[in-house]
Amino acid sequence: MDGEISKLTIEEKLSCQSLTPLTTLNLLDSVDVFLFDCDGVIWKGDALIDGVSDTLDTLRAMDEIFSSSFAAAMYLKANDFPKEKKVCLSVTFFSFSFFSSAGFLVCVYVIGEEGILEELELAGFTGLGVLILKLSPMLINEHFPLQEDGKKTAHLKPNSLFEHDKSVGAVVVGLDQYINFYKLQYGTLCIRENPGCLFIATNRDAVGHLTDLQEWPGAGCMVAAICGSTQKEPIVVGKPSTFLMEFLLQKFNIPTSRMCMVGDRLDTDILFGQNAGCRTLLVLSGVTNLSDLQDSSNHIRPEYYTSTLSDIISLFNNYQSSF
Amino acid sequence: MDGEISKFTIEEKLSCQSLTPQTTVNLLDSVDVFLFDCDGVIWKGDALIDGVSDTLDTLRAMIVFIICVGKKLVFVTNNSTKSRRQYAKKFHSLGISVSEDEIFSSSFAAAMYLKANDFPKEKKVCLSVTFFSFSFFQCRFSSVCFSIKIMLLILAQVYVIGEEGILEELELAGFTGVGGPEDGKKTAHLKPNSLFEHDKSVGAVVVGLDQYINFYKLQYGTLCIRENPGCLFIATNRDAVGHLTDLQEWPGAGCMVAAICGSTQKEPIVVGKPSTFLMEFLLQKFNIPTSRMCMVGDRLDTDILFGQNAGCRTLLVLSGVTNLSDLQDSSNHIRPEYYTSTLSDIISLFNNYQSSF
Repeated sequence: MDGEISKLTIEEKLSCQSLTPLTTLNLLDSVDVFLFDCDGVIWKGDALIDGVSDTLDTLRAMDEIFSSSFAAAMYLKANDFPKEKKVCLSVTFFSFSFFSSAGFLVCVYVIGEEGILEELELAGFTGLGVLILKLSPMLINEHFPLQEDGKKTAHLKPNSLFEHDKSVGAVVVGLDQYINFYKLQYGTLCIRENPGCLFIATNRDAVGHLTDLQEWPGAGCMVAAICGSTQKEPIVVGKPSTFLMEFLLQKFNIPTSRMCMVGDRLDTDILFGQNAGCRTLLVLSGVTNLSDLQDSSNHIRPEYYTSTLSDIISLFNNYQSSF
Repeated sequence: MDGEISKFTIEEKLSCQSLTPQTTVNLLDSVDVFLFDCDGVIWKGDALIDGVSDTLDTLRAMIVFIICVGKKLVFVTNNSTKSRRQYAKKFHSLGISVSEDEIFSSSFAAAMYLKANDFPKEKKVCLSVTFFSFSFFQCRFSSVCFSIKIMLLILAQVYVIGEEGILEELELAGFTGVGGPEDGKKTAHLKPNSLFEHDKSVGAVVVGLDQYINFYKLQYGTLCIRENPGCLFIATNRDAVGHLTDLQEWPGAGCMVAAICGSTQKEPIVVGKPSTFLMEFLLQKFNIPTSRMCMVGDRLDTDILFGQNAGCRTLLVLSGVTNLSDLQDSSNHIRPEYYTSTLSDIISLFNNYQSSF
């Protein structure tokens, strides 16, 4: 493996070239870890993009999935968010209520879907707002909203206080199809009134391909709603924030210059890769097309671009067959 | 009336003073029109704030020195959930007599903005004559012939992410509003090979406070703004929170508007406070200079800023969302001319002044 080939100049690195057989080989040669965005790169809605399965097998890429939900749970862990706090009452009270001890669970309010709650619970935190139904996949049909707070309504009545849990120490906001006024009020109250309550956003994507045919509002929509009512900015744990990258660096102990980010969005995936010092490859199978990339208002230039993920393998095969 | 008393220097005008008997008399002397915010000034939720009714009666009937000059009262509210007619009803139910044309709600502002910018109500398009004669003798195209004869009606519709107040004001102004609370019951079904459709003839999306906000409406509004050429994005206002009930605050229009900004990455045209769009209306109505108007409100970033932007006198009341520490906080840069605890102070301070003679 000739180390020289991979030492491209900064200008060449930022030159936004279409992948060719030679440059593909070079990339494969100089990168040990491939990071893939999913929507628009691996799948679109629930449909796998052609050729991806074989590509991944061939790349023997990392077998781990790092989602922004996972990132949210890891952020809380990294910042020592409490799981359970026991507080003992003072002796004067104790003598009255002999055996009582107060336990404060510090909860996380979730405006989002099951993925976030699941990651929080796996990390040992207590989540509110979303119910995990432990049903077999066959019983979960698409008409049944797997949401507790998604079904609630906020009743506006005189002399009636909308209550919220004072022990909520963080509100995590992500994409939420079941967003409603109840959740917006709950999250807003926690952030405005619970001292030190964190406001965490899984990401701020404006739209995304929730179905194969079209785009839908993304987490950026729900996060902006909470910014609008609290007038606060969130801690963003997903792309393009580099929080996830720090995690990956610890895990692989490989320099970012030997990682390549493959994504379909300039302002999240490619920017993320560049911020972290990775190689970057834009695929045109998702939300970005060639004219978006070449538009004069776009200032984010990936190192390479290509039509779809499977090009990596077809170009590599092309190179090999030229010998 | 001594005109000199009211000629304060700019420094004094921006001096953020607590109202006193003397300054109250001065204010009453130099102002002909009082503009009141409603939430937090007149009422909180559905509960009238103490002393407001008498204060408004007294202001209308006010006799100042030797000149009988009743004050004109105008109610300027950012809450778009009700129309002017519905607000007049609310006032009436609280024992205050207010006419519709004294009320300027942000729902009314949205309809007036569309009117002022010649938003189409109905467009008729006739097909060219060549089509007509060609199909006339082609019997096998008879069904097509029929549809070509009919003139195409393009209704330029307005999609509403908000409540009845906006829909009612749009209708009164002759526009076709769609969406609103009805769409609050709809769900967006995410299925493969299934397209979420939206009306391509929507020419404007109006966003205000919406208790019935949901993913369906967010997608509908987003698609209209992103895909219908020239579609307007109008916000009734951007208040972060508001007293929808007397006991606490709730997310305001600023929440829903921000959601749409988040998904479309576009900024809206704001018609409510602190935008001065409504002020242009008021100027036409009264033909009185803004320096002889006083804005009374409970919010610095909407009410007071609105008044200042328009060149009015400004009075902050502490009966709503802003308290004294918010006003005096070092991060606050908006300084009203005066502040006082509650609206009825105007009358008690005035009486105080009078009784000192």
